[in-house]
Amino acid sequence: MKEKTHYNYFQFDQKKLIAEIGKEALLDSLKKMLLIRNFEIRGEAAYQQGKVGGFYHSYMGQEAIQTACIAASGSDHWFTTTYRCHALALLLGVSPNEAMAELYGKVTGNAMGRGGSMHLYADRLLGGLAIVGGHVPIATGAAFTIKYEKQKNMASFCFMGDGAVAQGAVHESLNLASLWNLPCIYVIENNKWGMGTATSRAICIEPIGENMARSYNMKSYTLDGLDFFSCYGGFKEILHEVITTNRPVLVEVITQRFRGHSISDPGLYRTKQELAHLMEAEDPINRFKSTLIENGFLTEDEYKNIDKEQKDLCIAAMKFADESLDPDPITLEEGVFAPEDSQ
Amino acid sequence: MTKQTVEIREALRQAIDEEMTRDGKVFVLGEEVAEYNGAYKVTKGMLAKWGPERIIDTPIAENGFAGLAIGAAQTGLRPIVEFMSWNFSFVAADQLISNACKAHYMSGGRFSVPIVFRGPNGAAAQVSCQHSHCVEAIYGNLPGFYVIAPSNAYDAKGLLKSAIRSNNPVIFLENELDYGDKMEIPVEEYLVPIGKAKVVREGEHVTLISYSRMLKHCQAAADEMAKKGVKVEIIDLRTIKPLDIATVASSVRKTHRCVIVEEGHIFAGISAEVGFQIIEHCFDDLDAPLIRVCSKETPLPYAKGMEKETVPNKERILLALQEVLA
Repeated sequence: MKEKTHYNYFQFDQKKLIAEIGKEALLDSLKKMLLIRNFEIRGEAAYQQGKVGGFYHSYMGQEAIQTACIAASGSDHWFTTTYRCHALALLLGVSPNEAMAELYGKVTGNAMGRGGSMHLYADRLLGGLAIVGGHVPIATGAAFTIKYEKQKNMASFCFMGDGAVAQGAVHESLNLASLWNLPCIYVIENNKWGMGTATSRAICIEPIGENMARSYNMKSYTLDGLDFFSCYGGFKEILHEVITTNRPVLVEVITQRFRGHSISDPGLYRTKQELAHLMEAEDPINRFKSTLIENGFLTEDEYKNIDKEQKDLCIAAMKFADESLDPDPITLEEGVFAPEDSQ
Repeated sequence: MTKQTVEIREALRQAIDEEMTRDGKVFVLGEEVAEYNGAYKVTKGMLAKWGPERIIDTPIAENGFAGLAIGAAQTGLRPIVEFMSWNFSFVAADQLISNACKAHYMSGGRFSVPIVFRGPNGAAAQVSCQHSHCVEAIYGNLPGFYVIAPSNAYDAKGLLKSAIRSNNPVIFLENELDYGDKMEIPVEEYLVPIGKAKVVREGEHVTLISYSRMLKHCQAAADEMAKKGVKVEIIDLRTIKPLDIATVASSVRKTHRCVIVEEGHIFAGISAEVGFQIIEHCFDDLDAPLIRVCSKETPLPYAKGMEKETVPNKERILLALQEVLA
């Protein structure tokens, strides 16, 4: 049996963080995590109904990471992520309606039905990019702009999966960011699977972040992706580190995904029992909820109300998407080029 | 109008310099562009003038720095990426193909990618199989790119300035063997619009279409034909995409015969596209089948004689002209 990987997790004081964040903001984060969870459940349902085409990559099980990241860092940065992008879009201000409408391929969608599930955008979200590792240089470029324009208190956040680590684009980006002192925060969300290949069968080192960071003369952090507070405290400190040192940081977040790689993946590489255990014992939302109840910020009934509220929002989004118009084929070939300024 | 005589490399440099003066968001990055003064000296002296913040040497990491530049363009800057050779763009192909030309469309118009990728394209002097490819047919196949290939200093400067000001990704193709070509151009600022071909020699008997370095061979062939009383009309496409089919079609409607010359390979090349569009627009005007002169279907051989026979030359163009007029 393989030895369990030893991670040097980020140390944090949960009590202190709870006091610092406060009840209102904590409940807001719970609400957002439940929005993501409910959105993914409804999105998958819509996929099963044949309303959504293409691929569908669910963020279920990983909600605490990006929710805590935005809660701790604010949204006035640049963000880039993978095809598993619904959560980050929702967190960065994309409404459930426009996100769902994009999944449905409707003209009211986030990208007018051009991108679909893997390509969601916001004013500060550069995508939703679907070539594994290919988005990492893009995020590095956003960090370059921050430096070039001498913008203060800003960073570029780049979320990637563990599978991306094997890509050359990641190596080139880390080298450039470290070489040029770019304020980029690279976040490897290690959900232990690159599609159906276990991380240990694809990547030659464990832990990934702590080992790799040394090669690039970068600081690394390891966070517990199932724990909202580990992520919140971690991202708070990481952002501070990056904007004060103007150095990039490599973060590895240990997490789980509750679904297959995409919706068409039956997940035969893990047993039903394993998954059931995972979803029960290692659900970041359950864990967060328990802490909030223990601290007297939340009752079981209040939780149910928040959950229902978010569920209703997502069901309404399905209705909105369903009733929205398909893009008119007459608009085909439009929007390929950006308008030019008159010279 | 005051005139100056400049090499193509200097015309390109002036274009970059003027646009950097005009817009602080314009910067150059690439291998050896700064301290080395550019592999082909296009950026000579620019580090001294603009400093390392805007003339940026990169590691040998095309995928990384091309992608970085695309990200910078999406977030408000106007990068000029120099590929030391367009052959090296293949290492960065994912960034060009999956990001640069798709980001605007894919984001529903939220982001644009104002970026110029430039450098020498095609064959040089015996640089062999991996350093001699023409990339225009590859990138021209992708919606979202402009593809520009000037043949002289005047167009090089004016088109590069337009490319830098464009809000879209531009593939800007130069030629290593032509960097030293001299031409008299205005000292005053001017632009050459993207998407306009030019009739560079008026004629009446046959239309000869090409771009970039091949124009030289076309001119030489047309000179020969003139001695026999054949008036060849030459069109320099200047911009390959969007293709100025109107200029092409009006010439073909006049001459009724056409030869297309392309340095790249014949299969699925630019000449195939231009030729097919001619058929779509002027089939009834043609008095003879179209003829293409392209590179032979082989990686470019190193041996000098073999190299010469692979790439189009004056003799092959002359044969084609004679055949189309027969």
